[in-house]
Amino acid sequence: MRLALIGLDGVDPGALAQLLPDLPTLAGIVRGGSFLRLRSVDPPITVPAWMCMMTGKDPGELGVYGFRNRADHSYTGLALATSARFTAPAVWDILGRHGLFSVLLGIPGTYPPKPVRGRLVSGFPAPEAATDYTYPTSLADDIRRWIGSYAFDVREFRTEDKAGLLDQVRTATANRFALARRMVAELRWDFFAMVEMGPDRVHHVFWADHDPTHPKHDPGSAFRDALRDYYRFLDHKLGELLAGLPAGTQVLVASDHGAQPMLGGIAVNEWLLQEGYLALHEYPERPTRIEALIREGVVDWSRTIAWGEGGYYGRVFLNVAGREPAGVVPPGRYEEVRAELAERLTALPDEHGCPLGTRVLYPERTYRAVRGIPPDLIVYFGDLAWRSLGTVGWNRIHLHANDTGPDDANHAPCGILIAEPRLDLEEEYGILHVKDLILSRFGIEERG
Amino acid sequence: MNLSSAVYSDWSMPSDRVTLKIPRPLYERLRRVVEDTGYRSVNEFVVHVLRDLVAETEGDPPTLTAREVEIVRRRLRRLGYL
Repeated sequence: MRLALIGLDGVDPGALAQLLPDLPTLAGIVRGGSFLRLRSVDPPITVPAWMCMMTGKDPGELGVYGFRNRADHSYTGLALATSARFTAPAVWDILGRHGLFSVLLGIPGTYPPKPVRGRLVSGFPAPEAATDYTYPTSLADDIRRWIGSYAFDVREFRTEDKAGLLDQVRTATANRFALARRMVAELRWDFFAMVEMGPDRVHHVFWADHDPTHPKHDPGSAFRDALRDYYRFLDHKLGELLAGLPAGTQVLVASDHGAQPMLGGIAVNEWLLQEGYLALHEYPERPTRIEALIREGVVDWSRTIAWGEGGYYGRVFLNVAGREPAGVVPPGRYEEVRAELAERLTALPDEHGCPLGTRVLYPERTYRAVRGIPPDLIVYFGDLAWRSLGTVGWNRIHLHANDTGPDDANHAPCGILIAEPRLDLEEEYGILHVKDLILSRFGIEERG
Repeated sequence: MNLSSAVYSDWSMPSDRVTLKIPRPLYERLRRVVEDTGYRSVNEFVVHVLRDLVAETEGDPPTLTAREVEIVRRRLRRLGYL
């Protein structure tokens, strides 16, 4: 028995259903199997979502709430979530204990590489020039021999050269699938898993060109078919890979989150400033990242109740007396202040006064356990149709340009699960159940 | 990359490696175990097993250098994650 899990970062069930007639490989699997919505974790972001899928643990249980997490209660102590942060056994660890070999390629959250019974090529966000990115290290020599250099991802993402970017994504995808084909052919494996980042990169740049419902959609755009063409290319690469798998290999195709039009951004710290929750000694002359303002001593902590972080979702931290170095919120008033903030963030309208539909999550009500230091509040502006901007200096709250460059898509809470043979399941499945689904295919009932 | 643990050090540098002695019958048995597996040698297999064992009791996690952290941070920001 062999199982191959093909991860496609950010593939959205609705968009894929529309594209499926153009994608013979995926359509073929769907015909003989199942196509389900896969409910992601909160937040539905590459890190931690893939490792949540692989461990069956939610972000609270893992203590990993995003790419960066508070390592302590200082104002600057944000640590990158590396493989070392994921201490719960992943599906390949459990398979290894049962004597089964795994070959793993590009799974986000596996850098730096940790030992595995089998072979591992680290995934995003490994630094571009990383040299020790495989387990064992000698695998890097094989990769050089097989395909030359290995590309972790696109090299230059924030660029106005959309044609050039498309080339980059296609090159990176071709490179990863070329390596995948060699790995499944040359190495011993019972479980093969890979994650391709290309779909997510294409969504962020070409979603408005593709989606007629996007406010920025231009029917005359030269890139109107870029996303569809990329999916065709991806489907072809997937077909080549699957054709090289030993007969009888079971196949799962999964994504970690979906995608939706990005309508704009909320400058969360501008709002906190305007509402009196955040205080600065001096308002910046130009948009400046909150980290820089904190580092340069511009934040007046003696008058600051809360500050926020940007990203596809917002995170708000309270400045609590006895917890943060210069905290002002009395611990006895923590819940009251947090509830007030949550209520006001939820009610924040768009620039025309219309409801945004923002959702605010409390970590302790969202997760089965809360390890590490979570944000005090997790904020989905416009239910993730708006991103969170951490920068200050815009003199306004609502923006229709990203503070890191052009971006037309945000993440959506459901990804996909396509399985062959068919799964006897409801139309929506939870990402945290995928690990047990994989183990059950190998006849392993281990839990935990 | 400056991985602090010798476990993750560059294996091409002989000075980072030591020789352990095991009984030959055990070596022969291990050789048979390793045959036709993903492991290329008894050495690789034994290192894997020992790493696994040590990781459970010690946990010496791989880390990133300050420079790598900065590269990754900039990259995440460009990609819109931060």
